[in-house]
Amino acid sequence: MLVASFDWQFLWDHLPDFWEGLQATLKVAAIGIVGSLAIGIALGAARAHRIPVVSWIAAIYVEVIRNTPILVQIFFIAGALPYFPGHPIRLEPFTIAWLSVMIWGGAFNTENFRAGFEAVPYRYREAGLALGFSRFKTFLNVTLPIGGRIALPSSINTYISVLKNTSLLTAIGFAELTNVAYSLESVSFKATEVYVALAVIYLLVVWTLAALIRLVESRLALPERA
Amino acid sequence: MKRITIVVAALLVAAMAFAAWGSAKPGGQLAAAGPTAAPKKPAKPKLPPLPSAVKSRKKWQIGVKCDFPPFGFIDVRGNNDGYDVRVARRFAELAFGSKKKVSLTCVTTPSRIPTLMSSRVDIIISTLTWTQARSEQIDFSIPYYAATGRLLVPNSSTLRIGSMGGKTIVTTRGALYATWMRNCFKSSTLLEVDSPALATAAVKDGRADAFMFDDAFVLGVATQDRDLKLTADKFLAIPWGIGIRKGETAMKRWVDAAIRHMKKKDEFAKILRANAPARLVSGFLDNVPRPKNTFAYPVGKDVTSICP
Repeated sequence: MLVASFDWQFLWDHLPDFWEGLQATLKVAAIGIVGSLAIGIALGAARAHRIPVVSWIAAIYVEVIRNTPILVQIFFIAGALPYFPGHPIRLEPFTIAWLSVMIWGGAFNTENFRAGFEAVPYRYREAGLALGFSRFKTFLNVTLPIGGRIALPSSINTYISVLKNTSLLTAIGFAELTNVAYSLESVSFKATEVYVALAVIYLLVVWTLAALIRLVESRLALPERA
Repeated sequence: MKRITIVVAALLVAAMAFAAWGSAKPGGQLAAAGPTAAPKKPAKPKLPPLPSAVKSRKKWQIGVKCDFPPFGFIDVRGNNDGYDVRVARRFAELAFGSKKKVSLTCVTTPSRIPTLMSSRVDIIISTLTWTQARSEQIDFSIPYYAATGRLLVPNSSTLRIGSMGGKTIVTTRGALYATWMRNCFKSSTLLEVDSPALATAAVKDGRADAFMFDDAFVLGVATQDRDLKLTADKFLAIPWGIGIRKGETAMKRWVDAAIRHMKKKDEFAKILRANAPARLVSGFLDNVPRPKNTFAYPVGKDVTSICP
């Protein structure tokens, strides 16, 4: 029944629309993932090493982002910043898109990496310092390679969520994959076709992303755990 | 003298009884409703029988907009009002003799047709522009309004319909402007949001350069908001219809007859006057069906692929 009435021709005709939406989704997700990785390492290190001021600011940032819905954060950036008293901030839809998922992913990654860095035994760092490395060099050569690998599995979940959260950008009308599909459905009324296709595309993309990261993970796995 | 009074009184009682009997008849047809029967109210028009589901419920269930002044909105007292809402109330009056015999359901542009299809409402009177794709999903009544598209821009903007390349244009999801944009303005960025209020906010927030939408809505915004204006461009003049589920011929017959009656009596102009600021009425009188103003749907033409 479903297969018989399924309009394949419709999907085929609108493949370019889906492709356009997917490109926007991937672009936003890529910037979001890379950005959240950078934020996670920097602020995670600050938290783990209890660097004054930066560590406190990072703690507030993590708490605010983790305890508010991402949809509210998107609305805040899109709707509240343009009216910020004294210093209105007006951003392009694309900027709002990557910024909001990056800020969200960064907060979760900060915790992932903090846990990873804190799991590195203190004696390793002591060894680094004893060899004459500066604190920063000790971090780069000892804590980051080990702690980063410990944090990898939990950060994979964050990257996948960053990618999936781009679908919420439909709320501000940004033309990513979900928005394109939703709009297509509302003019064509082919709800089954559109949403089945949407789900399949997300499934394939997220699977691919997860597989890629797992590959990196297995390459980078700590020798003692292999 | 006394005798005449008694005769007149007897005649009046007989006429009232006759009128009551007439309105209690199935179908509500007032065969005997002459000038003597109801001297205060105008004669009830002869309309086709109501669809049985509506008749047995003794009440309409109609989907209207609640975020689209001056067509469907919630007023300061929390009541539904607007052009579409008053048409819905007039339908209740025509069908059951009381404006209150209608329960209104709020619908949005993307939700209105699904709400109709799932039988949560009998019909939708919700700023529904005729399109070929929609007419394959649902039936349309004869037109009850005709809107044109306009561009709402910030006061400082010099944007025109011919210079939208590279600009971000916002409209509502499911609106035919979105399809038209995709077909004709490929170099512009399209933002699609769920309500006209969100689209207006996008222009005010600087996320979009212009809001492309029905004149009826954006004109209201431009007259109230000092920071926004309309460009002189007018495009996509297509009539609106009342949405009816496919195959409900009795419903379509009744709704069409009601619209024809209202058109003949120039009631749409009256409803427009009651809903639009006085200074705007003259500019919109051509948008409503009147005794000498008839609209037709562009059947067979895909207007969204005709580019300026």
